[in-house]
Order: sequence, then structure tokens, then C-alpha cells
Amino acid sequence: MSDTTTTAGEKRSLRDIDLRAVAPFVALAVLLVLGALVNPNFLGMDNLLNVLTRSAFIAIIAVGATFVISAGGLDLSVGSMSAFVAGVMILFMNSGAVAGIFPMLAAAMLLAVVVGGLCGLANGTITTVGRIEPFIVTLGTMGIFRALVIWLAEGGSIAMKAPDLRAAYRPVYFGNVLGVPIPVLVIIAVGLIGAFILYRTAFGRHVIAVGSNEDVARYSGIPVNRVRTLTYVIQGVCVAIAVLVYVPRLGAATPTTGLLWELQAITAVVIGGTALRGGVGRIWGTICGALILEVVGNIMVLSDLVSEYLIGAVQGAIIIIAMLVQRSLMRRR
Amino acid sequence: MATAFANETATPSDRPLLEAVGISRSFGPVEVLSNINLALMPGEVHAIIGENGAGKSTLMKILAGHLPPTRGTLKIDGEPVAFTGPVDAEHRGIVLVHQEILLAPDLTVAQNIYLGREIRKGLTLDDRAMNKGAAQAVHSLGADIEPTTVVGRLSIAKRQLVQIARALLVPQRVVIFDEPTASLTLTETDALLKVIGEIRRRGAAVLYISHRLPEVKEIADRVTVLRDGKLITTRDAEGLEPVDMARLMVGRDVAKLYPDRVAAIAPTLALEVEGMNVPGYAENASFVLKKGEILGFAGLVGAGRTELLEGVVGLRRGSGKVKLNGHPVHFVTPRDSMRAGIVYLSEDRKGKGLLLAQDLRINVTLAALGQFVRGLLIDRKKEAAALDGAITEFDIRTRRKDLLAGQLSGGNQQKLLLAKMMLLNPDIVVIDEPTRGIDIGTKEQIYKFIADLAAGGRSVIVISSEMPELIGICDRIVVMRGGRIVGEVTGDRMTEDEIVVYATGVTSREAASMAGHA
Amino acid sequence: MRKLLLGSVALGLMLAAGVAQAQEKKTIAVSIPAADHGWTGGVVYHAEQEAKALEARYPGLKVIVKTSPDGASQANALEDLTTQGIDALVTLPHNSDELTDPIRQVKSKGVFITVVDRALTDNTVADLYVAGNNPALGRVAGAYIKEKLNGKGNVVVIRGLPIVIDEERNKGFDEGIAGSDIKVLDRQFGNWSRDDAFKIMQDYLSKYPQIDAVWTQDDDMAVGVLEAINQAKRTDIQFVIAGAGMKDMIKKVMDGDKMIPVDILYPPAMVAVAMDLTAAGLYDKLPVRGSYILDATLVTKENASQFYYPDSPF
Repeated sequence: MSDTTTTAGEKRSLRDIDLRAVAPFVALAVLLVLGALVNPNFLGMDNLLNVLTRSAFIAIIAVGATFVISAGGLDLSVGSMSAFVAGVMILFMNSGAVAGIFPMLAAAMLLAVVVGGLCGLANGTITTVGRIEPFIVTLGTMGIFRALVIWLAEGGSIAMKAPDLRAAYRPVYFGNVLGVPIPVLVIIAVGLIGAFILYRTAFGRHVIAVGSNEDVARYSGIPVNRVRTLTYVIQGVCVAIAVLVYVPRLGAATPTTGLLWELQAITAVVIGGTALRGGVGRIWGTICGALILEVVGNIMVLSDLVSEYLIGAVQGAIIIIAMLVQRSLMRRR
Repeated sequence: MATAFANETATPSDRPLLEAVGISRSFGPVEVLSNINLALMPGEVHAIIGENGAGKSTLMKILAGHLPPTRGTLKIDGEPVAFTGPVDAEHRGIVLVHQEILLAPDLTVAQNIYLGREIRKGLTLDDRAMNKGAAQAVHSLGADIEPTTVVGRLSIAKRQLVQIARALLVPQRVVIFDEPTASLTLTETDALLKVIGEIRRRGAAVLYISHRLPEVKEIADRVTVLRDGKLITTRDAEGLEPVDMARLMVGRDVAKLYPDRVAAIAPTLALEVEGMNVPGYAENASFVLKKGEILGFAGLVGAGRTELLEGVVGLRRGSGKVKLNGHPVHFVTPRDSMRAGIVYLSEDRKGKGLLLAQDLRINVTLAALGQFVRGLLIDRKKEAAALDGAITEFDIRTRRKDLLAGQLSGGNQQKLLLAKMMLLNPDIVVIDEPTRGIDIGTKEQIYKFIADLAAGGRSVIVISSEMPELIGICDRIVVMRGGRIVGEVTGDRMTEDEIVVYATGVTSREAASMAGHA
Repeated sequence: MRKLLLGSVALGLMLAAGVAQAQEKKTIAVSIPAADHGWTGGVVYHAEQEAKALEARYPGLKVIVKTSPDGASQANALEDLTTQGIDALVTLPHNSDELTDPIRQVKSKGVFITVVDRALTDNTVADLYVAGNNPALGRVAGAYIKEKLNGKGNVVVIRGLPIVIDEERNKGFDEGIAGSDIKVLDRQFGNWSRDDAFKIMQDYLSKYPQIDAVWTQDDDMAVGVLEAINQAKRTDIQFVIAGAGMKDMIKKVMDGDKMIPVDILYPPAMVAVAMDLTAAGLYDKLPVRGSYILDATLVTKENASQFYYPDSPF
């Protein structure tokens, strides 16, 4: 190739980079305006905080998914994993193995993070050492985790039994600090840590390199399998953090916990501007994508325009339109 | 052979088949081609030479319908035309054989050759006819490739041949070759040149772009020189020597391609490899590398040179004894060998060397990232400084520093790859095909750089299919054939004849006739 | 609770087939959905409990309980069960359209068919049909709300999934509130999931400043609804009416929780009733053909203890 193409590419890339990062936020802003038009209550503080808080699970999980996908992988098991981690955590709290409310909560949280990390480690190890497509591996573990929850729950639900523990834990979802709901603070914290790891550390650079071109990474001396595996561990830990926020909400894990979360998380990642083929990761875009998903659902319920039978179709259409807007922003010169 | 070409009946005349009149092309404010006039006559081989960035690629893309010109017109048989795209151009008989491999790796050779123009029998595909046609097309290029082989399993050279075979399947008026021989062996190059002769005989025109000036000298009827987007001259090849061409391209006298060097080889052994086996590729290979030495690896494509060295540095599974500075070592991963001070620069710059979709800074520090981490953080200022250093030291020509690696020209990509690996400050550098697809000016720089490495006390291994380059820069050359080391030449015995004897196993007379064109 | 109500128990005539022995070897297959939410979890629990009880009661009887995650795998399970040689099949089909034919296949092998909860598209396939009363579940809820709100007020509804059962309950509800000034502000699908019901209730609370009562038609979803109301600290909502008979909700009714004054029964234990009747038909030659429709009993503080199963997972 010659310098001539270089000149052409130069112009395009400058605009691309800016727009790609900005596009999801533009889409979110458009949705906010749309929501305000549909129902004035939409912009109420309570409603916005509700939506923001609710998006925490998907947002946190999707930050983990950003790592996995940037490295060229995929994790379909996150929804089932959430239910499994939540189930294990609640059963542990019900066991009364640790005395005292706060020591118990701390121990349970630690346990959840360890279990999540181990689940991720299992996904990562099977994928890299077994050299199996991540799609298949995580489809398998998706079924395994889900079945384990149902088994643990004996088909019913796993609920927190001790009322004092429940009362002490409840504020983690419903409480706030200076008016900011705690789950929102958790999103911000996870986003900051995620962005720090992905953008500022050598590991993050290796993630991008592996997702960009595995061969180049290998020839550059990067331990490709280790990097891949660690992205799944990060995903598992993110799932566990989401569970830490999820459990205090309803105090239970049920067989429907986390159903289809994997698809929502992947959608959030893609809306956020991360490429499914790997090599690009956008943490804040991902979080924005999770917000968009939740806002779309909220607008649907708040509006009287759409029959309840058609909500799924309208949601799907809005997501596709949001992506089209993004793409056209990128193409524009 | 003739059956492989689907050509129309040639009607030789003295009217140009394709003519460029006052063609200019700008990207934004930058004019990369200005006022080019070019006429391709029936039955001529017209070479276009120029340094990287001279505008060859752009001109080619305009002629083949990939890009519209900003100003000027194209004429076919004297009639002005405006191509709507490459398919339109192809319908009018303008065929471009790309330098980059554009094949579907999971399809077979025949499926690739007939992709988009499959032969049908009723509703189903006529695989037998396509396999037969593909076999003929490939055979006529002097290659022996099963049409049912999956392309992904072929070497780069063979993929290149498949690509040429694919291009030659449609009727041709003008065939444009973009560095077709960059990755071909002598035999394959010979066969290709014969094919070009055949195309010319049928009255089509051939536009030939190559950095191999002796090859241009041998095949071209006329030569057009581009420099900085301008047409410098179009001359008859008769009487134009490679050295003249080089001077016209560079715009000044090219001193000498290969650097003068006083070999500063120390008696100590930097690397000893004994009984190395890389399953399927190399068998029982033993060699040594001295400190300060430049060791060449010659052989035909597929002789196992790349795989042997990849086995040594831990990129492939292999077994054998390796000693570094006299100490036994065992590299399981490339990381191990890098830490021990050996780097390997892949022949596949785009596929294995650089992250084309990432920017220069990320590429240059990728292998040595550890040096740029302070605490947990990557020190971006230090990275930027490293990039600045690399740009200066390796003369990487880029308009801006935030470009993507894929936007650099081939020569600059090679320099970037060198810069990336040199950040590791290695004692031993293995460079595979250091100048493939690179113009003469950059070649000179890379040779000089390799010589400087050795002069600085490092040891270098160069794997190359270009014998003049090995002879020009190496102290000693090891020759491989069929996965084994079959010979070693040094001093006065470093001649093409001698090497070809080892590389092919044929007698030196046969070899001489084969190597004749180079 | 196993009270016979509504509609016909059409009596099939006993076939003169010789004297049955209690020791006679018989096999009953039970094909039900896997536990994918609370209610089906209850079904699995009760089916397994009843299987043990029946095997104890009839020494020659073998009961195979098989759960399937979706309609297609249930069809496969039916084939597998049939090849093992069964005398009767008790099944709660995933959905009627998909499974009517596979069940017809089983019947053609001479197997006694008992269908639970979801009626097949062809009424002649089932020998015995045992079900809760979906229209009544909605009607009882509607009537209770109408009475408690004195015929006037704002109600929001959270539906389940768009399937027949859900439609029947909804129609029943509309009949229940008919002729009053009760206004249904909104209806949305909560997919019988606590998390979805929580979100929808949050959104309802943002959208409507004044809500008198909530009907969720399912106890699982009521959990999410209560949590959302609790969070918003809204006092306008007087009560939430759910249904099914989940132990936590029955407990609330027993304890006199103001937000959950009553529950409406749609017990997963209906599968046990069906198994019991089927076994009785096989061994005791009792005339059990026809339809058994369980009442949509209103569970109040007074009678709640009868319906409380603390050991059930649901």
C-alpha cells in the first residue's frame, strides 16, 4: 500500500474515533428526549433514579462482557451464573455459618465474588486449554449453572430467611449516599475500575491485542491463553458484583433470576460500540448501552402508545434504529 | 496451457487498449497523482516502477475501477469511459491481480478460482468441471496444486498463484500485476513470466508493477517511472539498466544497495542448535550462530526455514538441543525466548507482525510493554517518546502519529515492526523475508540497519527467498531443502549457482538455467 | 381443597376387565415441565411427593416422574416413556398446540391419559382432565377488588405470559369487576418473574400518582410488586391481590398482612390430585373419566392454615 491510501484513511479515522465513542451517548440523549415527550413523569427524579438503579445488574455484567468480547471471546453463561452465585450466596447466609450480621454479610459477599471468579475461571480454562469455541463452552455452562440453581432451590426459590440480615442488607439496593442510589455508585466504581484496567494497564493492552489479532499477540510474546482466561475471570467477578446488588432487592434467587441477561449484556456491549469480533473495548459505551436498554423498557411502560402485546417488537426496533443511527454517524464524512 | 485462458480473439492494432489522459487524484487537499498520461498498447508489457508512495497503487486502482480519478479521463479503444467499479472494469477486460491475498481461506482452490462465476449444471454446481478448469489454470502457471485443497493450508506463494489463476480466468484486455512475484520461488516466477508472455502474445496488454528491477528489465517492453505522484518518464526498456531505473525512481544516484561492512564476528557462539525437529516441517537440523554474525537461511518456499526458526524460539512445538551463549535453554513460548534475548520478526507482517487496526503507539510498545508500566499504569508519555524515537531512528515516514498501523505503506510497516522488536534490546534477531514487497530505497535502509546490528555485536539470522539479498548482506548462508539443512556456503562460494544446487538438488547447469532471469 | 366444583364430572363407564389386584404391576408415567418458576417448582415437588405416597399405597405400582425444559423435549420424553411400557400417563403439557399430537400417539398405545392444567386442543384425547379454574381465578380476584373498593377505584394489572391461561384469567377478572366504576389503568406482561414485576410496578408508580389496588394473578410476581411499593413509600395502594398459593403469600394472609389480605388458590398440588385419581382408576376401577376442575378458592385469614405447606419449595 502506498502513502496515498494513508492520506485517505487519515481523514476518516479522525472522525471515526470521535463519533464511535460519542454515538451511544447521542442515542441515549435522543431516547431521553423521546421519553420526556411520551410522558412528563419520565424525567421525574424518582423515575430516572429507578431506571438508573435497575440498569445496575446489566451494566455491571456488561462491563465484564466488554473484557471478554474485546479479547475476541463470548460468554453466554452470565445470566445463569448470576442465579447460581445468588443462590449459593443466600444459602450460605441461611446456613448461619458466621456469627454476627455484618461479619456474615462480609463473608457472604466475599464468597459470592470467589464463586463468581471460579465460575469464570472454569469458562476460561475450558475455552483456552480445551481449545473449544467459547460459544459452545458457555452455552454448556449456561445450562449447568441454571440446573444447579434449580437443584439447589429444589425447583422453588431460595429466599433469605433471617429478617435481621435481610434488613441490614436491603440498603445495598435501596439505600443511597447523598441522594445517589448505592447501585449507581457501584456502576460508577465498576466502570472506573474497568476503564482503568482496560485502558491504562498492560493487561488491558494485552486484551485488546489478543482480540485484535491473536497471532500478532502470540508473536509479540503475550501469553494469549492466560489473558483470555483472565477476561472470563473478570466476567465472573463482575457477575458476582451484580449479584451483590441484586440479592438485597428481592432477597431471593429463583429459577427466573438472570434469565436472558446474557443477551442483554451482549446487546449493551455492542450498542456501546465494542466490536463483537474483538480488538475494541468501550467501557463507558457499554454502560451507556445498558442504560439505553433499560430506558427503552421504561419508556414502553410509561407510554400508552403501544399495546402490551407489541412491546417486544417496538423494543427490538428501537435497538436496531439506535444501531443504525450509530453506524450512519460513523460513516458520515 | 492455452485452455486456461478465456481470452477473446486478439485484434492487434496500434490503437491503445487503455489510455489514461491527464489523470489526477486528490485525497482531501493532498494531490497524490498529477496529470498522468499513459497508453497501453496491444501486446506490450508495460512496467511501472517507483518508490513506495510514488502513486503506483493509486494509479492502478484508478485503471482497474477501484477509485475514480479527480481529474482526467480513461479511454478504451479511444472511447472515454467511467468505470462504476472494479466489476465494471473487469467486464471490460481490465483485470487487477492484487498483491494482497484476497481469497476465502476455508474454500478450496477450485471454489476460490470460480467464486462468483461458478459453473452450474442445472441447479447444482458442476464441481468436476470447476476442479478440472482450476487444475489447468494452476498448472499453466507451472504450479502443482490440487484443486480440492483448502486455500488456508497453502503457503503464501501458492495462494498468490491461485489468485493469479483466478484473475486469468476471465477474458482480458489489460492485466495489471501488482508485485506478483514478491512471494514466489524461482520456478514459480519463471512460470509466471511465461504466462505473461502468453498474455502478450494474445494481444492483451500487461501492466507490471514490481520492485525487482532485474525482473522488470527482463520482461518489460516499456518502463514508466513515477516519483511523488508525477510521471517522470516513459522509456523503452531496451538499453535501460536496473541501475538507471533505480536512479530514476529515487531521483538521485543510488550508491549501493548493500552496505559495505567489515565483518566483526567474534569467535564466541551466540546460539547453537542441535538436532532440532519440528514435526512436519524440519528434521534433525543443526546450526550455529556466532556473535556479530549475519547468517542467511536460503531455500525454496516450503523448505521449512520459517518453521525451523519458529520451533527454535518457541512459536512452534519442536524438540532438540538449543544453547544460548553456551547454556542449554528450552523455549516453550515465544515469551521465553524474548526474555532470553531472541526476537523473531515474522514474514507475515500483516497477519502476525502488527495489529493493523491499532495505532502506531500501541504497536511499537506491544512486545516490550513491561518497560512502559509504572506501578500498574502504562506510562503513555514514555510510550509516545518511544514512538518518537522509533520514527526517528528507523525513519518511519508517517504524516501523523495517530495513524493505524494498517495505514502505513509496506516499507514503513516493516520499519515499525523492526522498531517494535528492537525495543526488547535483543542479542539475537531473526528476520524472515525482511524486504518482501518493499521498494528499493527502503530496502537499502533495512540492509544498512541489519549491518549495523551485527556491527554492534548482535547476531542476526535472515531468512529470504531473494538470493542476491542473502549474498549481499550475509557472512554465511545455510541452505534448507525438504525440512533438512543440506548445505552451507561462505565466502567466495556464496553464489546463486551454488545455493540453487543445494536448494533444489539439481545439477548446477540445470540450476543456472533456472536462475537465469534473476 | 380437593373440592370438586364447576362443571361436569362426566362419568365414563367401567370396562368389565376382570378383577384388579392391588399387587398387579402397573406403571404410571408423569410428564411435567421442569421447574422454571415457582409454580412449576411446586408442581415438581408435589408430583414427587405423590409418587412416593402412591407407590407405598399400591405395592405393584411404579411411578416415573419426568421433567422437561420445553415442549420439544417433552414430546421426546413422551416417546421414551411410552417405549418403557406404561399403563397411564399424567401430563402437564408445556403447551397445548405442540403436544396434542404426541399425547394422542401415546393414547393410541392404549394408555390412559390424564391431562393437568392445560387442556389439549382436541378434547377427545384426554380420558381425565384435572385443572384449576383460570377464569374463576380472575373472577374471584375481580370480585374481591370490586367489593373491597366499594365499586370504585384505580387498579393496575400485571399479566403473566401471553398464553391461553393468562387470557382466561384476564377475561375472568374483567367479568369480576364488570358493572363497577373500577378503572384498569394499565396492563403489562410481567412474565411470571419477580424481577420483571418489580420493574413494571416501579414504572406504574412513576406513571400513576393514584393507585388503589394491584392484581398480579401470581404470587411470585407479587413479591416484586410489594418490594417496589415498599421502596416508593407509597400509601395510596391499599392491597395487592395475587394467586396460586405460594407458602410465603399464604403465610402473609395467615399473619393478617394488610397488603396481602387474601390469596386465590391455583395450587400446583393439582398434579397430585390427578395422579391420585389416575391410580384409583387403574387399581380400584373407580370411574374417573371426565373433567375435574378445582375451585379457585379464596384464601382468607380464617382458612389460610389449611393451605399452608411449609415444606414445599413453593
